[in-house]
Amino acid sequence: MADLEELREAILNGDARRADSLTREAIAQGVEPLALINQSMVPAMDEAGRRFECEEYFVPELLLAARAMKAALEPLRPLLAATGARAAGKVVIGTVKGDLHDIGKNLVASLLEGGGFEVIDLGADVSPQKFIDAVTNSGANIVALSALLTVTMPSMRNTIEALKQAGLRDRVKVMVGGAPVTQQFADQIGADGYSENAPSAVALARRFAGSAA
Amino acid sequence: MTGKERVQAMVNGAAVDRLPLMPITMMFAADCAGVRYRDYVTRHDVLVEAQLAVAERFGFDYVSVISDPAREAADLGAVVEWFDDQPPAIVESRALLTEKAAFQSLRFPDFSAGRVRDRIEGVRLLARHTGAERMVEGWVEGPCAMAADLRGLNTLMLDLYDDEGFVRELFEFVVAMEVEFARVQVAAGATLIGIGDAAASLIGPKFYAALVQPLETKLVAAIREMGVMTRLHICGNTRKILTGMGATGADIVDLDFLSPLKEGRAAMGPRQVLLGNMDPVRALRDGTPESVTAVLERCWDEAGPRWIVGAGCEVTRGTPLENVEAMAAFARSRHG
Repeated sequence: MADLEELREAILNGDARRADSLTREAIAQGVEPLALINQSMVPAMDEAGRRFECEEYFVPELLLAARAMKAALEPLRPLLAATGARAAGKVVIGTVKGDLHDIGKNLVASLLEGGGFEVIDLGADVSPQKFIDAVTNSGANIVALSALLTVTMPSMRNTIEALKQAGLRDRVKVMVGGAPVTQQFADQIGADGYSENAPSAVALARRFAGSAA
Repeated sequence: MTGKERVQAMVNGAAVDRLPLMPITMMFAADCAGVRYRDYVTRHDVLVEAQLAVAERFGFDYVSVISDPAREAADLGAVVEWFDDQPPAIVESRALLTEKAAFQSLRFPDFSAGRVRDRIEGVRLLARHTGAERMVEGWVEGPCAMAADLRGLNTLMLDLYDDEGFVRELFEFVVAMEVEFARVQVAAGATLIGIGDAAASLIGPKFYAALVQPLETKLVAAIREMGVMTRLHICGNTRKILTGMGATGADIVDLDFLSPLKEGRAAMGPRQVLLGNMDPVRALRDGTPESVTAVLERCWDEAGPRWIVGAGCEVTRGTPLENVEAMAAFARSRHG
C-alpha cells in the first residue's frame, strides 16, 4: 500500500527521485491524486516552510524540497487535468519590471505550488503588461509581486495601476513582498496584502483564496 | 583625529575622539551629487566626485568604491543588464557557468582593463584626494556572492547538495581571484578592503562553516597580509553564522538589521569591531531625525564601545538628508 508519510518525508528531505517513484507507485495502486497532494505534498511543503521560519531550514533545503515536490507533482498533472480537480487558487507571480532578483519569488512560488495553488510564474523583470496578459489568459485570482531593490519598488505601484487601467483590479487580490517592502508601502500603493517571508505569503494567499467568491 | 586615524584607532582598540561613521552610500551618493547611477558605476571620476561630496557633507570617516556586484563578473564575461539609473544586474537565466564545464576555461579578468580597472582607478583617485584624511575602501566579492554571480544563485543553492566538490573548487577560484583584485586596489591606495558576501546569509550554518567561512578566512588573511584592514559585509539574516563571521579575522564585521548587535557581540566577543545594524529602509529612510537617534542609541547600547556607526546595508535612495545628518550628528557627539 502506498505510504503517504514516506512521500511526505521524501519531499521534506529533498529526495526528488524517491518522491517521483513513490508518487508513481501510489498512482499505480489507485491512490487519488488529490489525496497525494493533500496528505503528502501540502503537509511536506508546509513543514518545510515552518522549518524555514524557525531557521532549521535555509534556502538550499527549501529549494531542494521544492524540487522534490515538483518531481512528485509531475506525474500527477495529467491526472489532475483529466479529473478537473481545482487548485486552491490561481496565482500569477513575478519579480517586477527592472528587477532581476528572483530567489525570494521562487521560494514563494514553490511554497504556493506545494500549498495546492496553481502558479503561473512569469519570472523576473516582468512588465505590467505581462502581468495583465497573464491574468487575462489564466483567470488568476491572485497576483504576487516581488522586488528586492528599493529602486524597483515603484514598479509594484505601476503594475497595480496598470491592472486598474485594464479593468482587472477588482478581479484579483494583489500581494507584495521583498526585502525592502513594508506593510506601509503595501498600503500606500493599494496592495491587498504584504508578507515578510515565503511561508507567510502562503498563509496570505490562503486567506485570499478563502475570501474569493 | 582624522577619519582615518579614528577608524584605525577603533580597530586597534585605542581611544577615539568620537564614534567612527561609515555608512555605505551608493545610489544615495549619486543622487546627492545629481548624477545618473549608470555614470556612477561606469565612470570612476563620477563615483569619486560623489563619494568625496557625500563624505564631506556628512563627515564620513571613509570613502568607498563599492557600486554593484557586477564588476568582476562582467569582465569574466557574464551577461549584465544595464539600467539608466539603478545598478547593473547579472542575468541569472544566462549565467556564465550555466554549464559546469565552462568553469574549466575560466581565467582571472585582466586587471588593466574593463570594469575592474575602473574600480582600481577609482581607488587611486580617492586615495589622491582624501587618502590622508579618510579610509579609502576598495571592494571585492566574497566566495559565495561571486560564485552565485557566476553560476546563478538558485543553481548554486542546489549545487551545495548536488555537487559540493564543484562548489568548493569554484569558491577556491573566486578567492584566488579576489586576492589579486584586492592586491591591485591596495597598490592603488586602498587602506581598507570590503568583502561583500550577501549570498552567505542564505545557506545556513552547516554550509557556511564547512565551505564559506574557511574561504572567507583565507581571503581576509591574504588581504591583511597586504597591510590593510578588512571589512566583512554579509547583509541579510546572519544570526546562525555570527560566530563564524567573527572567526574570519575581519577587522570590521557589518551586521544587517535582521541580526541583532547584542547577538553579534555575544557571538564574537568584546574585541570585535561591529558596524550597523540600523534598518536602512524602515528606520533610516522612513524614520525621523529623532527616531534615527533613538535607534542609534539602542545600537550603541547593544554593541558596546567597539562599534562603528552605520546602517545594516546601503543607505537607500530617497533617504531624507536630515536623517543622515542625524546619524552623523550622533557619531559626532558620542565619544568611544
